[in-house]
Amino acid sequence: MSELKKEEEILKEIKDKFSDAVENSIIQRKSRIWIDVSENAKIDIMKYLKEKGYYHLSTITGFDEGEKLGAIYHITNHKIIINLRVRTPKENPILKSVLPVYPSATSYERELEDLFGIKIDGLPEGRNYPLPEGFPKGVHPLRKDVKLEELNKMLNEKCIKEE
Amino acid sequence: MSKMQIPLGPQHPALKEPENFMLVLDGEMIIDATVNLGYNHRGVEKAAENRNYIQDIYLIERICGICSHSHISCYINAVEEIAKVEVPQRAKAIRTIVAELERIHSHLLWLGVAAFELGYDTLFMYTWRDREQVLDCLELLTGNRVHYGINTIGGVRRDITKEQADEILKKIKYLHERTSYYVGVVTEEPTFLARTQNVGKLPKDVALELNAVGPTARASGIEIDVRKDEPYFIYDQLDFKVITYHSEDVFGRAVVRVLEVIESIKIIEQILKNLPEGPVSVKVGWKIGPGEAVFRYEAPRGEDIHYVKANGTEYPERVKVRAPTLANFQSLPYCLKNGYLADAVITIAAIDPCMSCTDRAVVYDIKKGKKEIFDWEELRKYSIEFYRKKGVKFS
Amino acid sequence: MKLKDKIILWSRLKSPWIIHFNTGACNGCDIEIVDALTPKYDLERFGILLKGTPRHADVMIVSGPLTRQQAKRFKRIYDQIPEPKFVLAVGTCACSGGVFDGCYNVIGGIDKVIPVSAYIPGCPVRPEAIIDAVVKLIKELEKSSK
Repeated sequence: MSELKKEEEILKEIKDKFSDAVENSIIQRKSRIWIDVSENAKIDIMKYLKEKGYYHLSTITGFDEGEKLGAIYHITNHKIIINLRVRTPKENPILKSVLPVYPSATSYERELEDLFGIKIDGLPEGRNYPLPEGFPKGVHPLRKDVKLEELNKMLNEKCIKEE
Repeated sequence: MSKMQIPLGPQHPALKEPENFMLVLDGEMIIDATVNLGYNHRGVEKAAENRNYIQDIYLIERICGICSHSHISCYINAVEEIAKVEVPQRAKAIRTIVAELERIHSHLLWLGVAAFELGYDTLFMYTWRDREQVLDCLELLTGNRVHYGINTIGGVRRDITKEQADEILKKIKYLHERTSYYVGVVTEEPTFLARTQNVGKLPKDVALELNAVGPTARASGIEIDVRKDEPYFIYDQLDFKVITYHSEDVFGRAVVRVLEVIESIKIIEQILKNLPEGPVSVKVGWKIGPGEAVFRYEAPRGEDIHYVKANGTEYPERVKVRAPTLANFQSLPYCLKNGYLADAVITIAAIDPCMSCTDRAVVYDIKKGKKEIFDWEELRKYSIEFYRKKGVKFS
Repeated sequence: MKLKDKIILWSRLKSPWIIHFNTGACNGCDIEIVDALTPKYDLERFGILLKGTPRHADVMIVSGPLTRQQAKRFKRIYDQIPEPKFVLAVGTCACSGGVFDGCYNVIGGIDKVIPVSAYIPGCPVRPEAIIDAVVKLIKELEKSSK
């Protein structure tokens, strides 16, 4: 299809250069490419994409798939969005920081640490975001095994204890 | 040299709590700044997973009162993409009208707030009085002044009548005149220029590196606008310019916003004179998906991005929202550095932050070794007084 | 009532000073509150002044659902306002938590922590409703002082 030419081109280049790292890929529609990549090759792929003009990191979405946690990096050159998905096991979730490539990633990576409990390797020390100080450690609200009613009950009891 | 830190954040002087901004001063100059966020965290993304798609409309709308239509349009477009729904042209046109009215109201609000922060109370009163015209248009169209609730999955909830269209055209004609007057004020009023030129500089390469969005990026000469880059609604059929400016400072951001109001007025006129006929919504079932989608939208503050994952039930699997202010916060430390403390208030206001301004500052001065406590109101007065002593004041 | 008390009451009734506090709102109600000061609605003609510090205020206007991190701070500021003081819960979120009720970082309406004199529903509140509430509050004060 000639209308998806640019998308097909960039996807082919990534697959050719990083064939071991690309697990799955799909061109969902015009301007949307979704690629599952291995965590190890993530930084190299991003460096390559940045050289090709994909300099804008819109945001990083964390997700919980049950056994695995992960993150989707939404990278764009303002015409096409490439969504890079990486996964990490829930028992010991670690992802490398993408700050060396995208310096704007700080808040997004802190969110992954707070809300999902994924350790970001290379993220400098700093205050929690977005959870407030005093939020119980080890509780990560956006994980699927954390149920909202129980979370509310626990936080209410904690508040009553403090007063 | 021992560094002294100024926490700037919503806290009471008596409580030792973390703050939003840490500013390091040397004399009057800010030599370093760090950003800490999160005092307004409510837990919307988790709540969104426990409500169905229709209930989420009303939740996500209230993430922000000033750009509520942006958030909801972005979310609904992502859901409609997953559900493979073809939204009728008339609904898209009405969504565009509300979107541009929202842009006008947000920019006028910003101009008033910026004027207030500078001590220019008259301009604040003028812009907010004229903003009432926009709120009247929105109330006419949607029934409410804020949180319009016009969107639903598959289209819009209300149609627009000929009388409403005529009334809106009349009001925005008046607004066009008033905004031309504000363009004059922003570009020619010497006190405004003195307070905003060369303040909060963000060079183009830094803005690109830190992924700035919206008027903040456009004032540094970067021509990005989701309405042109990835057109949604009916923007691909409309004739409008992307406003950029080269000065990279607070003045540039003001110019970009004011000129964007004029462009928005032109867009609304184009649509109202050529409104497509047809239904205003299509029926969509309760269960959506499975599938996932990402959608970007040009909110008044910049690029808003939403990610929705559906799993075939009535409840979304994951909803992610990244508001534009969060993207611009990354550039704020750079803008604050090498500026005066007196410029901190307008520099922060110039990225148009979507957060409540009940902030406080604890100011340490390295040379004097003294510690003082300011709140936002006092910091604002301090900056007005600082410039008044230099002969820069609004009479 | 002593003359001194009568004068104080008269000045409170004729010119209540307000402090505004945002406990985690979406800013919708806040802009409508500020709107009430602008020429179309003009609260100042009732002698109402918006003040920045709790020590000078008679009435506290609160918008937004009470988030967990704001709760302690909010109580402190309330304690700083000299008696007699009145609290207006502006907007559905301040009355009951509104659309955010059930979110993990939201405790609920502000009456979970402090006593409220008047509830003004609306999402967001119309400036006319705010003026109406303040006028009703003043009438109540007048009645109770007799």
